[in-house]
Amino acid sequence: MTEQMPAPRPSDPPKWSRYQYPESLIKHGTLLAVLLFLGYSLHFLNVDIGLLIGALGRFAGVISERYYPPDLEYVLDRGYLEAILDTLQMSFLGGFAGVCLAIPLAWFSAWNVTPSRRLFFPIGRLGVISCRAIHETIWTILFVSVLGFGMLAGVSALTMFCIGFAGKLFSDEIEAIDMGPAEAMRAVGANPFQVFLFAVVPQVRVAFTGIAIYTWDVAFRAATVVGFFGGGGMGWYLKRNVQQLENLRVAAIILSIIAMVLVAEFLSGWLRATVNRAK
Amino acid sequence: MAMQALTRCNAGQATAGRNDMAVLTVKDLRVRYSAKGPEILKGIDFEVEDDDFLAIIGPSGAGKSTLIRCVNRLVEPSGGSIHLLGEDVCSLNARALRGLRRNVGMIFQEFNLINRMSVMDNVLSGRLGYTGNIRSLFRAFPRKDVEQALYYLDRVGLSDHINKRADELSGGQRQRVGIARALMQAPKLLLLDEPTSALDPKISREVMALIRDIALELKVPALCNIHDVQLAKEFCNRIIGLQDGYKKFDGATDTLRDSDLDDIYAMEVL
Repeated sequence: MTEQMPAPRPSDPPKWSRYQYPESLIKHGTLLAVLLFLGYSLHFLNVDIGLLIGALGRFAGVISERYYPPDLEYVLDRGYLEAILDTLQMSFLGGFAGVCLAIPLAWFSAWNVTPSRRLFFPIGRLGVISCRAIHETIWTILFVSVLGFGMLAGVSALTMFCIGFAGKLFSDEIEAIDMGPAEAMRAVGANPFQVFLFAVVPQVRVAFTGIAIYTWDVAFRAATVVGFFGGGGMGWYLKRNVQQLENLRVAAIILSIIAMVLVAEFLSGWLRATVNRAK
Repeated sequence: MAMQALTRCNAGQATAGRNDMAVLTVKDLRVRYSAKGPEILKGIDFEVEDDDFLAIIGPSGAGKSTLIRCVNRLVEPSGGSIHLLGEDVCSLNARALRGLRRNVGMIFQEFNLINRMSVMDNVLSGRLGYTGNIRSLFRAFPRKDVEQALYYLDRVGLSDHINKRADELSGGQRQRVGIARALMQAPKLLLLDEPTSALDPKISREVMALIRDIALELKVPALCNIHDVQLAKEFCNRIIGLQDGYKKFDGATDTLRDSDLDDIYAMEVL
């Protein structure tokens, strides 16, 4: 400690910049690459900006000519109202089954508390990822080809969709917990299942409830599309009328879907806020 | 300097060399958290006898917490051996390790309670090592455990707070819950990881006194990380001094001199 700090020379003022050489190159280079790819894609796909802007005007024209006035009597018909109920039940069943299956998978695929990093972690991750990798419409097509048209195929497809959706959110939530209680439970000799019950579940219970409600909301939206591909419910009516060129009925059905999705979204938002307050 | 410290270590061990069976024997313990990372513990040897209340002191980053977590393998040692209650801790498989851990009560700096559970459930969770999965799922602990929990809650002075949520309690009260939880294990060794450093001086003293009294009452040896030398001198019969992964002192509390403390807390001059 006999050495002294070298005194700063007045001719050499201290310099500082936020981004040092390699970081600045990476940062600006990435931005440039993104912009270049965007330009290339626009050029390659031959997107006609003028046509795109003009489309908005034509859109209004087509709607007023062909889809107005919507056939509201049709959607107030008893058969269609039952289809709405079907869709609601489908989304509820699919969401419930999906959430129930997603919880163990999320536990397996959370790196911090997985029962086994070698065995269960890959199983859980693979399960969640493969449910996410396949779009809900494709799940529907697959299940329709196995189970035939109808609600069962729709519910199964929604279940797979919900496992992927909720599983990912659940496991992210589990990975963000405070590990102190988990350490304490391990120290008392608890097995991984007991650690999950006592250290993980109390910490994620509220978040899980919120995610489960959100999953139902998203499943309801997906249920309308699932119906279109043969899963039954509102989407099925939509498909039939699109094929029969019953445009006024299609307009009414689309309006009813928008209304129901809005109701579901409002309801889920309100429920989630209530759950969060109860924390 | 280093030689001096070393000879003093040996002397300390010689004076502490009693004949009773050691509960815990640690030999040449080494830890590194990653293959290329720095070594946190660089060959630690010590023993805990069955009537010890042993303090580990040392500056921040000396490896105190790591050392104490190696004993029940919350941290995996990378070298050396640990014998606890006649078993080789490092060679146990997962199931046997859980069996060993339930004999070792641990109390934490940040209490590590389950905040959204009641005080009662927190205390009962100390019995998980003895409880099956189905009972755990429904939190259906045997009546005997519940009675035991009520007894310990009374012993640590929390009889009025049994059904409160853990996060409604003050710091001192939370640590008392932690103590009751550790006692529920019927431990044969207590590991205390800075049990008082989140508490104010007065409560720290109360909590340390409580732990010491209970340890004496139940005849459980304790191994206690503590950075407050005053508390260590007051409550512990033996002290181990760590610095930067090396043991610098090991001896009875009354043999600890100021020069030893200077040695333990000496700053490395680079």
